[in-house]
Amino acid sequence: MSASEIRTEYTGGKWNLFRLALKTSLLTLLTLGFYRFWMKTRLRRWFWSAIRPGGMPLEYTGDAIEKLLGFLMAVVVLAFYIGVVNLILVFLSFTFLHDNLAAYAASFIGVIPLLFFARYRARRYILARTRWRGIRFGLEPAAWAYSLYAMGQWLLTFLTLGYLYPRQVFNLEKFRTDRTFYGSARLHQGGSWRMLRGAGFWHMYAAAWSVAVLVALVHLEYLPERGLLWLFPAGMWFLFGFLWFRVHALRSMANHKSAGEVALIAAPRMPRVLGIYLLGYTLAYLLLFLFALAVVLAGLFGAVWLFEVNPHDLVTWQQRVPTWVQMSAYIFLYFSIFILWSVLHQVFVVLPLHRHYAQTLTIRNPLALSSIRQRARDHAEEAGGFAEALDLGAAI
Amino acid sequence: MSDARQPLQDLFADLLDGESPRVRRVHVVLSEKAPRRGALLITDAEGRQWCWPVDTLRALADQAGKEGLILHQAGASPERLVISNPDMAGRLRALFPHLGKRQPVRHMWRLLGWGIGAVGAVFLIIMVLIPLLANQLAALLPPDAEKALGDATLEQITIGLDRSGVNPIRSCTQEKGLAALARMQARLVEGMDLPYPVQVHVLDHSMVNAFALPGGHVVFFRGLINEAETPEEVAAVFAHELGHVAHRDPARIALRTAGSVGVLGLLFGDFAGGTVVLFLTERLVQASYTREAEALADAFAHDILIRSRVSPAALATMFERLRARYGDAEGIVAHFANHPALVERIWAARSAARNAGVETEPILDAAAWADLKGICAPLAGLSNILERFKPGAEDGG
Repeated sequence: MSASEIRTEYTGGKWNLFRLALKTSLLTLLTLGFYRFWMKTRLRRWFWSAIRPGGMPLEYTGDAIEKLLGFLMAVVVLAFYIGVVNLILVFLSFTFLHDNLAAYAASFIGVIPLLFFARYRARRYILARTRWRGIRFGLEPAAWAYSLYAMGQWLLTFLTLGYLYPRQVFNLEKFRTDRTFYGSARLHQGGSWRMLRGAGFWHMYAAAWSVAVLVALVHLEYLPERGLLWLFPAGMWFLFGFLWFRVHALRSMANHKSAGEVALIAAPRMPRVLGIYLLGYTLAYLLLFLFALAVVLAGLFGAVWLFEVNPHDLVTWQQRVPTWVQMSAYIFLYFSIFILWSVLHQVFVVLPLHRHYAQTLTIRNPLALSSIRQRARDHAEEAGGFAEALDLGAAI
Repeated sequence: MSDARQPLQDLFADLLDGESPRVRRVHVVLSEKAPRRGALLITDAEGRQWCWPVDTLRALADQAGKEGLILHQAGASPERLVISNPDMAGRLRALFPHLGKRQPVRHMWRLLGWGIGAVGAVFLIIMVLIPLLANQLAALLPPDAEKALGDATLEQITIGLDRSGVNPIRSCTQEKGLAALARMQARLVEGMDLPYPVQVHVLDHSMVNAFALPGGHVVFFRGLINEAETPEEVAAVFAHELGHVAHRDPARIALRTAGSVGVLGLLFGDFAGGTVVLFLTERLVQASYTREAEALADAFAHDILIRSRVSPAALATMFERLRARYGDAEGIVAHFANHPALVERIWAARSAARNAGVETEPILDAAAWADLKGICAPLAGLSNILERFKPGAEDGG
């Protein structure tokens, strides 16, 4: 490490995160989802503080109450939209088309501009509540412009059958980055979209086309139905290509980000990321399976020991258990698996990914940071409420 | 006492001033002199000083690195004191137990205002706006659209009941039972003017219930057929549901649900995707109509029962049976049972029977009634086949 570069450390233990995630998830469950604003805030605080460029942790200063407020604001708007507009759409769709598919489609299309809007606003909120070395990040307000721009970019991707997808990814990232600030310094996204067309993209693209061709061939009966079995390897291939593309895009775009003289060097490696996903999901599923098995076994042994049921009569005994008891047991199992899954996912997938991305990130020419000054606090009142209500903010 | 202050003698830390990204190495002491007694005195290499009163000190919560400590002052000041030495951090925690104290809630009134406003608005939308709109639109819905709506809803219900995870729900299709039900239906709908054919289904579930869906679907649960002692009681419930069909009550409920389910999904967030489906099912199966709608459906039932030469008193008998079983109580019971005006409705059915003085004629004969009772018989197909091999059952050839 030379004086002209600072590296990023990562200090976050799995066990530590596991306890925090489990505790906050249980509280969320007990409060019928109300605590989720606190859960999200606390987890973000934790994840942010684990990332330490130059040894100094990021700080997340978001507030659960402002999130709740933003959510309430969003709910009022969306309740009207989703309630009344959907009702009218369902009516029209049944009246004229005798089907509700059109209503679903129309309702979804109607929500699309709002999705991009919400995503930009959520990013603005998160950046406004992120500090490093005591200095705030920020994003200029441009959510509707972004929404229009994003729809235009998606349309182009759609019209070119996916060929311009890298261009869309790059342009949207540039739109956001060029409006991002670190204190008084504006960030700049350099480079061109062509650098995103690496091998990952071509794998993804070829896989997507194979899926399309395969489905078309089976549909037109050139191939027997069992030809659809090839969808599985093709899908895997697509996921592989997509992941590679994502890692490559992230790296090449990060390497062309700068704030004045300060620049980033990112070096995440695809094999490592792939390994994290494979290992992480395997572990998470394995533990989830063991948990479910343990619950079922506990239920069976409980029946045998506590109620002295003859093991041979378990099936008939189970039928005599009142419906509400069975229902409660199922609901308990459903939610505990749901919670455990999200906790394990964070511990075994999100954390190692963050760690890898952090540890491969270097800041070049940090001395130039000294000219940067603090920026005013952005109230960002809606606090990601739309994203929360539209279920876009599920990721940390 | 001097022991407790000892650790602060040579405490070095990093200070972030909240003005520039500079990291200042600072020396921290706990001041004891009069004007600044009980405050942290923070001095950097250039001699600049900060003074943080001890009672305003707070530590950042939920930090990933357990060994360090980041101090700040209560309030919105962006200054931070970063202590990386684990020993020092531990001693400071012991010295100042109030570090974890929470910030007071800001904007309390605005929060309360928005909270009440949001709940009120959502309440208005679900309880007033959507039902109002649904009632208006249901009246405008053309018959074939209503039928399509009913078909889609029936599919959702079967999927929904399936998803509840208890037992997948089977539709009962024992042939003879269906034939008996069809005979009952023919008697009841004779002369009725519906824009679509009535379709009746029996689901294999022990709930004592029946409900109607848009577009002429009437659904019985096995529990209701089991509970009934005469075919007339089933016919009476059937007639009541036909009343709802004729008055388009289910279409209103279905449209209302289409509107309110999305809103509820929104409120419960990503947390419980499955609950929405369950709720939808619950709502449609346990559809609670208004008192007026129930009374109108009852009156409709009395009329067509009388016309079909069945005494409306059968409806009263069925209600009484339900009341004896579930009481007037609320709860997860059939919507007949939890209706508060059950006594009133029993009385209305009896007086309708008295006034009409119906000349009754059994709606099903004993054999057909037995068939209907067995409509959900397990392995119905198999027993049909076995019956053919019974001695004396081969006359048909």
